[in-house]
Amino acid sequence: MGPVELLHMSVFSQSFSPCGRFLAAGNNYGEIAIFSLCAALSPDTSEAGRKPVLTFSAHDGPVFCLESFGGHLLSAGDGSVSAWNWAELIKKNVKAVWTRRPEYKASMEIPEINAMVINPRDNSVVFGGGDNNVHILDLEHGVFKSVFRGHTDYVHCLSVREREGEVLSGSEDGAVRIWDTRTSQCVHCVEVHKYQKCARPQFGKWISCLTTDSDWMLCGGGPSLSLWHLRSLTPTSVFALSGCQRRATFYQDMILAVGQGPTVSHCLLGGQVKAQIPCTPNNINSLELNTNSAEHQVLTVAGSSQFVDVFTNVSYRAFSLCF
Amino acid sequence: MGSVTDDEVIRKRLLIDGDGAGDDRRINLLLKTFTKWCNSPGTPEESFTQYQRMLGTLAQCEFSLGKTLMVYDMNLREMENYGTIYSNIEQNITSAHEKIAECKKEIQRAKRVRKNRQEYDALAKVIQNHPNRHETLKQLEALDKELQQLSNIKENVDAKLELRKKQFHVLLSTIQELQQTLENDEKLDTDENNQQSPSGSAE
Repeated sequence: MGPVELLHMSVFSQSFSPCGRFLAAGNNYGEIAIFSLCAALSPDTSEAGRKPVLTFSAHDGPVFCLESFGGHLLSAGDGSVSAWNWAELIKKNVKAVWTRRPEYKASMEIPEINAMVINPRDNSVVFGGGDNNVHILDLEHGVFKSVFRGHTDYVHCLSVREREGEVLSGSEDGAVRIWDTRTSQCVHCVEVHKYQKCARPQFGKWISCLTTDSDWMLCGGGPSLSLWHLRSLTPTSVFALSGCQRRATFYQDMILAVGQGPTVSHCLLGGQVKAQIPCTPNNINSLELNTNSAEHQVLTVAGSSQFVDVFTNVSYRAFSLCF
Repeated sequence: MGSVTDDEVIRKRLLIDGDGAGDDRRINLLLKTFTKWCNSPGTPEESFTQYQRMLGTLAQCEFSLGKTLMVYDMNLREMENYGTIYSNIEQNITSAHEKIAECKKEIQRAKRVRKNRQEYDALAKVIQNHPNRHETLKQLEALDKELQQLSNIKENVDAKLELRKKQFHVLLSTIQELQQTLENDEKLDTDENNQQSPSGSAE
């Protein structure tokens, strides 16, 4: 990989292995790199410890989503989803266990998959992408069991509300739709840009950032990042972050948000922005917390750069892994 | 036996080289002075002074022996002391570790509590924006009463309207009947006239 390619690399997605000792990162060239956290975090590591132990080409297009579930690494991007066995990948044996493609209505081009999320309740994977629909793949039978239609523009982000068994989807058309997985109906539709205190008309109405913890929902994108109470569907706090946010997550008593701008923002639930931690990439696409391992509890951040920043303490960047 | 103890002696002598040099020399000097004193003819005062000097040297040697013994005792006691301090510190370290673990758990708990508080605050802000429940209930009651009154009035008006309609209906039907009767009477009259005139002309 030449220096020009490295310069133009964007990392779109990350996922930690089930044992918590490896990190997989997918970039815009369709490659997935596996990094060893033990090697990178050990005290006597060198430059080589920060490089991937394995890099392989997974898709023709960019790898937009990576998820680990049931010992497999699922990767999706250019319209199809592939599964790789983690144990085999650690042994550097690169062979996809299976590859599937949702049924798209007959069209000239194959729509990309922008978001993928696991629903552990009924062992299924939820996809959202360029064909404006949300597809559900049943992992037990390997078939696509339902499609949620309703959005009028492509789906940017998905989240699963475990307790109620619902899926939330945020799309370019500015609506956040809440779907019931059993009846495949849209239970609620919230148009975030219609609320005065969230809307930022200068950026648009698209929703690119969605996360939930069953009672509360964070959504943002064109409109400001806002915290919503799901039972009453009202926005309770709006966060004054200057850029458009791409990922947000609840962490202990704070909210971590990333997006435009080379910073990870720490915010409190009341709406205050507590801290902004600087990072290497200029814009950040992906934020992951390693909850699978007790001794490698790190936060990793990646975006429009070939470096993946690793935070051992959320308050500062420890070092960077390099593609 | 002689060679073994010789080695021991040499080793010990080399080990305690620093301080032993003075004592060693003193003991050798004492032995030499003793043999010289035993073999010397000298005057009784000289031998007495030499004897006193020897006693002095002997006392010095005994003194340094006593000192070394005390130092040895002191070292033993210091060792014990350090031993107790060491075990004390170890205990402190383990209890500090435990306290750290406890505190970490406390932090997690406190963070959860804080998160809950912030969630309540956020919800409370939203709730505050809505009007008070009592007031809304009172307003609802007042509106209900108004509604009742208005519907009562409407009923009354409706009843009145019905009554008027019926009365007008009665009036109009009576008028029509009267008209009919008058027309019938007129017709009968004209018929009678017509009947009379043809019979009159026929005569």
